[in-house]
Amino acid sequence: MPILKDDDRKYIREQFDSKLKGKVKILLFTQKLECEYCQPTEEILKEITEISDKLVLDMRNLQIDSEDAKGFGVDKVPAIILLGEGDKDFGIRFFGIPSGYEFTSLLADIIDVSNGASDLGPDLVEKVSGISKPVDIKVFVTPTCPYCPAAVRAAHKIAIANPGFIHAQMIESTEFPHLANRYAVYGVPKTIINEKIQFEGSLPEQAVVEQILAALQGADS
Amino acid sequence: MVDLTFSVSAPSRVGLKDSYDVVIIGGGPGGLTAAIYASRARLSTLVVEKGATGGLAATTEWVENYPGFPDGIAGPELARRMEEQAKRFGAEIFFGQPENLDLVSDIKTIVLAFKKISARAVIIATGTIPRKLNVPGEKELAGRGVSYCATCDGPFFKNRELVAVGAGSSGVQESIFLTKYASRITIVEYLPTIQAEKILVERFSALGKGSFLLNHEILRIEGKEKVSGVRVRDRSSGEEKLIPCEGVFVWVGLLPQTDAFKDVLRLDKWGYIEVNSNLETSAPGVLAAGDVVSGASRQIAAAVGSGAAAAINVEHYLASKE
Repeated sequence: MPILKDDDRKYIREQFDSKLKGKVKILLFTQKLECEYCQPTEEILKEITEISDKLVLDMRNLQIDSEDAKGFGVDKVPAIILLGEGDKDFGIRFFGIPSGYEFTSLLADIIDVSNGASDLGPDLVEKVSGISKPVDIKVFVTPTCPYCPAAVRAAHKIAIANPGFIHAQMIESTEFPHLANRYAVYGVPKTIINEKIQFEGSLPEQAVVEQILAALQGADS
Repeated sequence: MVDLTFSVSAPSRVGLKDSYDVVIIGGGPGGLTAAIYASRARLSTLVVEKGATGGLAATTEWVENYPGFPDGIAGPELARRMEEQAKRFGAEIFFGQPENLDLVSDIKTIVLAFKKISARAVIIATGTIPRKLNVPGEKELAGRGVSYCATCDGPFFKNRELVAVGAGSSGVQESIFLTKYASRITIVEYLPTIQAEKILVERFSALGKGSFLLNHEILRIEGKEKVSGVRVRDRSSGEEKLIPCEGVFVWVGLLPQTDAFKDVLRLDKWGYIEVNSNLETSAPGVLAAGDVVSGASRQIAAAVGSGAAAAINVEHYLASKE
């Protein structure tokens, strides 16, 4: 039985038909054992990629394809990476299942990667594309948090504006409790930039960019 | 335990037009209902939502008192359906915050994503956000055990002891949800009585995982890296004690989201927007709906009612201007 409801599939098809431009490869890393949400993640991605011929699903195994995993910075599963035309890596990562509220983050990211751009304001794009040091953004979420997609999307849009230097990960907290523990996550969304700056709640895109710049400033001193 | 639903609510922003008949600020139940009515009246309608649609209803795990759903409905699902219904009739939804507003001129302007949009009428349905306790430790430990959203943060407290602050309906309802995770919940209430609906109190008590501590004041939230307990004082005996816990969920009322309007619209002494019987604010062409209206009962059903009324009144207002 399909996971997507008919009217949701219809809506997604309309969105994809009108908004997808280039091809998007959805790279999914899974493993057979000890991954409760690998299977449902695979199923939903199969359904999504069937909706548009611009989308392909490329399955990898964390152990068997360990070189690939390393190359893409994947150390836990399920992990989703969105690649644009020519397999361009936009720095977007989803660790854990993109369900509940995060499902819309995934769909919006697919559209952005297909266009190679997001709706991040031009002045912010300019600021972000001037960054020439590595930036790692982790956004911890739960699928039942309505405030979380805004934080995930802000991070992902910023990565899209400068994928050479910026990587942004969504991390579904309940699937990776050791990470949630390590970063003292008791409330979501929680964003961590370069292991240095952290903040709770969903900040406007402008403020996230300022936090990134602040994290890099600190790196100089 | 992970929510395994996959459904769609607004994956992207709209391409904004230069002008709309009505711009609705806030995409909770009041704003979305106004959007349904306005778009069915064939007014070009834009809803501006800063976070996710559904407002506070979307953070309510299960809604049981909204008519038409005898078995109840999940708050996020109700929000999604309202959004879908508004979009079906042509309303557009923009996710973001107004960067600038002119509500006083005859034609209103709203700046969104650096773009100036004009509107013939505006409905403000910005609702409320949870009020803070304003005790020591609350700010320092926010996100480290202090939370205002049970559906968001509940999963972090599996088999932990929790304190919920506030024995109103929201506090008890959300505490019932939290018993899915928590080993024990103490609901602390400042007043000597429980304000929540009786049916919720019965259900909470029947779960056998929690208790009420009435007539107690929260003095501070304790903890270094994360919450370790809540210090309370018995308001009749003056006796202080520490309730050990790892999480504190706060439901001590609501704050109207009216900062952006305080210089242009008349507000009541609590900051809610004052309206006349037509839901018109002190600025012509600007109406208000939902929880942000002075005297609102802050129920989804009530917000829906005033959203519908505001849209109908906007239609009359615009017709009278033609």
